[in-house]
Amino acid sequence: MTNSLNDIRHAKSMIFIGSNATEAHPVSLQHILHAKEVNNAPIIVVDPRFTKLAAKSDEFVRIRPGSDCAFIMGLINEVIINGWEDKQFIKTRVSGYPEMKEVAAHYTPEVVEDITGIPAAQTRKVAKMLAMNRPTSLTWCMGGTQHHIGSSITRAFCILQLVLGNMGKSGGGTNIFRGHDNVQGATDMCVLSHSLPAYYGLSDGAWQHWCRVWDVDYDYIVSRFKDKEWMNANGFTLARWYEGVLQNDEITQYTPIKALFQWGIGLNSNSQFAKVKEAMDKLDLLVVVDPFPTATAAACESDNIYLLPSASQYETSGSVTSTSRQIQWRYKIVDPIGGCKDDYTIMQELVNRLGFADEFYKNIKEVPEDITREINKGALTIGYNGQSPERIKKHMENWHTFDIETLQAVGGPCDGEYYGMPWPCWTDEHPGTPILYDISKSVAEGGLPFRNRFGDVATYVMSGREEIQLAEKGVCNPGSEVEGGYPEFKDVVPGTNWKTDLSQETIKEAIGRGMAPFGNARARCVVWSFPDQIPIHREPLHSPRPDLIEKYPTYEDKPNHYRVFTKYKSEQNPELVKSFPYVLTTGRMVEHMGGGAETRSNKYLSELQPEMYAEINPRLGNNLGIRDGEMVWIESPEGGKIKVKAFFTERVDDKTIFMPFHFGGMLAGKSLAGNYPEGHAPYVVGESANVCTNYGYDIITQIQATKDGLCNVSRA
Amino acid sequence: MSRMKFLCDIERCIDCGGCVIACKEGNHIPVGVNRRQVLTINQGKPGEKSFSTACMHCSDAPCIAVCPVDALYQREDGIVLVSKKTCIGCGYCFMACPFGAPQFPTGEVFGARGAMDKCTFCAGGPEENHSAEEQKLYGQNRIAEGKVPLCAAMCATKALLAGDGNTVASIYRDRQFKRGSGVNAWGQDKAYQG
Repeated sequence: MTNSLNDIRHAKSMIFIGSNATEAHPVSLQHILHAKEVNNAPIIVVDPRFTKLAAKSDEFVRIRPGSDCAFIMGLINEVIINGWEDKQFIKTRVSGYPEMKEVAAHYTPEVVEDITGIPAAQTRKVAKMLAMNRPTSLTWCMGGTQHHIGSSITRAFCILQLVLGNMGKSGGGTNIFRGHDNVQGATDMCVLSHSLPAYYGLSDGAWQHWCRVWDVDYDYIVSRFKDKEWMNANGFTLARWYEGVLQNDEITQYTPIKALFQWGIGLNSNSQFAKVKEAMDKLDLLVVVDPFPTATAAACESDNIYLLPSASQYETSGSVTSTSRQIQWRYKIVDPIGGCKDDYTIMQELVNRLGFADEFYKNIKEVPEDITREINKGALTIGYNGQSPERIKKHMENWHTFDIETLQAVGGPCDGEYYGMPWPCWTDEHPGTPILYDISKSVAEGGLPFRNRFGDVATYVMSGREEIQLAEKGVCNPGSEVEGGYPEFKDVVPGTNWKTDLSQETIKEAIGRGMAPFGNARARCVVWSFPDQIPIHREPLHSPRPDLIEKYPTYEDKPNHYRVFTKYKSEQNPELVKSFPYVLTTGRMVEHMGGGAETRSNKYLSELQPEMYAEINPRLGNNLGIRDGEMVWIESPEGGKIKVKAFFTERVDDKTIFMPFHFGGMLAGKSLAGNYPEGHAPYVVGESANVCTNYGYDIITQIQATKDGLCNVSRA
Repeated sequence: MSRMKFLCDIERCIDCGGCVIACKEGNHIPVGVNRRQVLTINQGKPGEKSFSTACMHCSDAPCIAVCPVDALYQREDGIVLVSKKTCIGCGYCFMACPFGAPQFPTGEVFGARGAMDKCTFCAGGPEENHSAEEQKLYGQNRIAEGKVPLCAAMCATKALLAGDGNTVASIYRDRQFKRGSGVNAWGQDKAYQG
């Protein structure tokens, strides 16, 4: 999130696309409804379903799954055609605009209607609503990302906000709601296969930086790998790890995957779940660390599995990061009960037995405070350095002194600081940055320009135009020594830059001169390292519109995409819709969480949502001869097949099937409840929607495409 | 003397069920007994509205009027409570209540009529405040601690208001006043189409 949940209170309009915040982030509605009531801010909801959020909206836009990019480019085009773009903002703080404008021109309201199913008049109306009610807060969630062009879709969202001039402003911003309290923190620590913590990447420089932070010899780390080349190569991802075992698609690694550690995740949130199960059965070793035996633990049917019961969040403590980039301290309420251990202890016992405790715990004597301190020391890219355990705890203790509207403390021990010191928090005195890219405040007071990340000058292949990537003269934070754009800081301490100078002198020098350590640049509309340098629509791999596949085809197949061959063009078959005529999309329900291991083990939540179902429009149901409440088979093109209850509702249109993905513990109509350790089966088991979600992965991130597949439905 | 009231602000209720879960977890209510529930009309269609409902603690409570053994009674602050030790489980209150508030333990095909259970406004029952007996029969007594009921305390959007009727009314009046113009105003969609 560039802004915060609280800052949405200042929005003059809100657009949600691929986000069902009422069910996935119910507490955020406190601020959203405040903006609606107090500012008269219209809520626009763009979704394939009439969600519970749509029930609160002023404008509901029903979109065909996977066509988000076309709609947003259409809005951008409509804004530009009417002269509603923020000309000053674009001229001074945006790059690649003319090139982007030319691409957007293709997406007229009529073209958008053909691709998305949204009436041309409604695209025009929404563009006008956004233009007349600025600033707009834009929110997307997994409905925006989980597509094979998810990386283009999310960029289109950002470009729309740039064109409207809504970035770096209170009430505006791109506000991607993250999940429960430490999803943002886990992301920032890069629990990912292509980056070391804090987005440093996998280059030699990144490894050397972290080795200095850990105080561990770089050569020792090199010696832990088979060959050095694997240190710098992206690993397998959560979406495709199973191919590392099964190798149905060719892998680029010297060995198949033999063991899997599954720490705090239900793999039934993984698409292609039938293959995931097959891979789990084939592993030499599967370890599940979770407070509850997960659905995956039940699905795995070989004797290769170990369950390590871990403590819940109430039985341990430590720093966690919220969706608003705020860092909070979680205090322990009770000691771990029922024979479980907290995550730190489980980790420590593993490390001890694996024999590298000396290196692992070099800086970590006091757990968990020293872990936070190590993050403070190393995570400079995103300014995790000012949030010491002492400061975090001070904020928690003085919670009542912070203003709900501004998040700033009024008097008291934290006077002037922003709650949770939202990152970047550059120094021990810095108040945190409540809104990213806000040039109305000095950097020392929480302001920031856009980051200079991609060089000072670029030449665009599509136009041959050369453009300076630094912000225009006169555009900077108050008090900046350089009045205009400037590159990132380096060589203040020779041989280092602001990201690698562990003395943090570089950062302090920049702030002292009123400047941002990372420079002052323009936000890009053109990303020259992506296959689609400017976002364009491409039909979902499994598309219900063969005619559009021809016009907007997918990418060429991609070998070695996170170590596995990934099909695009060879998977996009225009004939598929004949056998699988309905679009399949998935999502959340408010009562359950993720894979549901925890919530389906709660008797009251299970009472409220006791059964897996598929939402079917009554018109489609009646045409298929199905009755409301009957059991149906949902089948996927990959052979996945599940038996679920039909739930007739007009939330979905008559071409779309929706299923929640929280259920597990049943497979192809068969209950696996007996596979749980005795007395530990959840109250509710059900088929996993992800048995049926289709093949398809983002071209950049490899996130699974669970929102725009195809399926067939028949009476069971 | 103030009178205790619930009010569910329908514009704010998002059907999250947090009130139901707070009530059940906090008072250890058996599965199948619903002191509070969230109801939805026009599910999945334009005009969808949800609201949370429980015992309304009526001023002239029909349940009290019909109870043949005077198990139901009203406190001075308006909270309507049942004495489970007096209740004979006849179900007259269930028939009289316009809101379906009285609940009975679930059992076999025809149900098992035990003593009636309903929302206590988190004010316990006739037993001694905070006694083990009160806790067992009625759940928490938050009113005696000066706290609002669990359901309202939990409500994420502050749709569910509970407390002194005058204060509740004043909060709601203030909200309605702010909603009275622009996109939230009644008739806005008809007056300014598109």
